[in-house]
Amino acid sequence: MNRLTANSTDYPLRTKVSATAVLFCSVATTSMLLLACGSTNTTYTRTSPADSAVETRLQMNDILTQVFLHCREVREFRTPGGPMEVQVDADNDGFSQRNFAYKFTWLDPQGNVIESPMSVWKSASVASGARITIRSLAPTDSATDFRLEVRRSD
Amino acid sequence: MSSSFIKSLALAVFVIVLGACHNARPIETGGTESITSIEDVDMQDIMKASSGMLESMLSLGVLSQAQHKPAQVIIGQVVNDTSSRFDVGEMTYRMREQLVNSGQAVVVTTWGANAEDPTAQAEMRRKAILAGKTEIEGVQPDFSLSGKITQMMRQSGNTRQGTFTFRLTLTNLNTGLEAWTKTVDMTKQGNKNSVGF
Repeated sequence: MNRLTANSTDYPLRTKVSATAVLFCSVATTSMLLLACGSTNTTYTRTSPADSAVETRLQMNDILTQVFLHCREVREFRTPGGPMEVQVDADNDGFSQRNFAYKFTWLDPQGNVIESPMSVWKSASVASGARITIRSLAPTDSATDFRLEVRRSD
Repeated sequence: MSSSFIKSLALAVFVIVLGACHNARPIETGGTESITSIEDVDMQDIMKASSGMLESMLSLGVLSQAQHKPAQVIIGQVVNDTSSRFDVGEMTYRMREQLVNSGQAVVVTTWGANAEDPTAQAEMRRKAILAGKTEIEGVQPDFSLSGKITQMMRQSGNTRQGTFTFRLTLTNLNTGLEAWTKTVDMTKQGNKNSVGF
């Protein structure tokens, strides 16, 4: 008498492999969909460097690589109020969101640190595939250079 | 055998307890090792808020529009409308420090019914009366700073989220119109408070 049971050992081997493959594909697809949900697609109208771009991109990359970011452009310009402002564009080319903290410290023309309550640690996060602009304003009109510190936040 | 086992166990417990201890030590105020609270305003939030406010104010050059150089500013009421207990002076004093010490503004502490320094105000009045004047001379504020700090709490499952919004407004006292305003948001999310950010 033929009998159908729920026991998997009764199924042929080919059926079991196929089920495993389907399961694997499902998990892979779900994972890819989940990753795609967390990533950001970004496009820009600007293709050339800004007039205020400064040649510190390589030095910036040295430090931003520590938080798995890629520096695209550094701009430094004088604001209507007088003090200099710096803006650093950084891309997250990785597959996961990056969280980090950063701090700008401004220096006078002699290279001395200008103490200011504006120099504080700030936290930031950037989604996969997105670009972030971290910025800072100099505390005084005389500040010309800056120092940037970054630290990973886990 | 049993005695040796107990000794080993006691040693292991002692080591674990020692490892779990965190002795008090100084850390950088507002630094990345600070405690991050979901439902409270932390010192690093206040420092970031005052920094954001100053950046906006200085980049626009609002204070340079004043009749006086440096601009005369009154620190008005900044309301803490959150469930977190802290002194709003933590924020305003940091802003004053930058504005006054850099020579961009002076804070009038002897103005109005709720003067910040009543002793100085009384002395100024006494001198004005002795000089035959009816009011304190030399103090003509250009701007008044006021604001509010609010919070919005949300929860999904075990995850809690707190958004604290700092709002400041600078009013031109010659026109009565708003000369500058800025909003700085701080949002924190998690299951529980943590060390570091």
